[in-house]
Amino acid sequence: MSATPRESNPVRAFMSEVWGSIFRHGLPTTDKVAARTALTNFFLHIHPVRVKRSAIRVSYTLCLGGLSFFLFILLTITGLFLMFYYIPSVDQAYQNIKDLEFVATFGLIIRNMHRWAAHAMVITVWLHMARVFYQGAYKPPRQFNWAIGTLLLLTTLLLSFSGYLLPWDQLAVWAITVGTNMAKYAPIAGPYTRYLLLGGRNVAQGALIRFYVLHVIALPLIGFLLMVVHFWRVRKDGFTGGL
Amino acid sequence: MATVVGGGNGDGRSGRAVDVPRSPLTRGRPGTSGPELATPPLVVRRREEEETVVTFPHLIWKEFLAGLTMFVFLLVVSIQVNAPLLQRANTAITPNPAKAPWYFVGLQELLERFPPVMAGVAFPSFVIIFMILTPYLDRNPSRRPQDRKVAIAMFTIYLCLAVSFVVIGVFFRSLAFNWDWTMVLGHPGLSSPT
Repeated sequence: MSATPRESNPVRAFMSEVWGSIFRHGLPTTDKVAARTALTNFFLHIHPVRVKRSAIRVSYTLCLGGLSFFLFILLTITGLFLMFYYIPSVDQAYQNIKDLEFVATFGLIIRNMHRWAAHAMVITVWLHMARVFYQGAYKPPRQFNWAIGTLLLLTTLLLSFSGYLLPWDQLAVWAITVGTNMAKYAPIAGPYTRYLLLGGRNVAQGALIRFYVLHVIALPLIGFLLMVVHFWRVRKDGFTGGL
Repeated sequence: MATVVGGGNGDGRSGRAVDVPRSPLTRGRPGTSGPELATPPLVVRRREEEETVVTFPHLIWKEFLAGLTMFVFLLVVSIQVNAPLLQRANTAITPNPAKAPWYFVGLQELLERFPPVMAGVAFPSFVIIFMILTPYLDRNPSRRPQDRKVAIAMFTIYLCLAVSFVVIGVFFRSLAFNWDWTMVLGHPGLSSPT
């Protein structure tokens, strides 16, 4: 809160003014203060001010949507650290990963977290979809948000798939070879799709740079945009609440 | 603040008045009675009579705890288990079996069983399109499980198929993607699967 006139210590008065200019309200001591805090805070504004108590029971939501978003943030942060060391070149990529494991401080644990969080996100997004289906939460007025959620699931899979190639080890290259071979079977467009995706006929430098750009820029941006719309619609359509 | 919450509510007192009891956010809750606003300004959604709580801190707190739990879990896993890293990529040496990432291994399993055009293209496209269209195809307005037996049965079958195909691909397919019990059950004559 802003400085009271009784504050005699000028340093404390100044600090109080700074604090008050950033946070318009104090801690949520009462519901009214809490509501106004939520309304005036950009980050808290992602949620509605009030929700039905039954809608936020952990046994109802299992926190799966929130956890998926949390994992996305965690993956963005750990991915950012990895980007400082990683060069998307077939000559250097593998050595960069080795350096991350054995040379860079905390490199190993950051890479491990990025990997396991990616797997966890695929699982939480799937479970979130199952949760929403079993509770019929996709029914009007939320039909379109289910469609966006489906696209988010696909984006998650593609993000994970594109990241799979980057370490440039035997596991990566052959998994992507097998994965992209599936695209080949589409009538007419299949071989062209695979060529477009790999930037060539085989998994080589062309594929590595394409997957890298997709993984660190294109797909996260698409995912972020879809998430913004997804959350906005959750907020506007309201929470479904208990059955 | 009042300009945001109660601004333009036509009671002649819009502006800077900080009169908390008139906040529209407190309407419709048991135990609060304030003067009704002429026009509901910010929170336009009608709340049902069910009990509501403020998301901050009630929901934020739960999300924080869930995120913290997940973070600690991942930290422990990351300390204990290293992400896989095999030999440097070599296009001359094909590993046997060559498997897709686990979430696409189900597709690979389909390719073993059906013609490629069906398994690689028709099935996945159908699943994606059907999934997106689900809310538009399901005309049943009820959300209660006892009214949705068909929908729940269909989705459960789909989930079971998807999960079992992934499990088969990961745990029961080895050399040349052939069926292999030994990864799970161990070799006959050996005491343990290792």
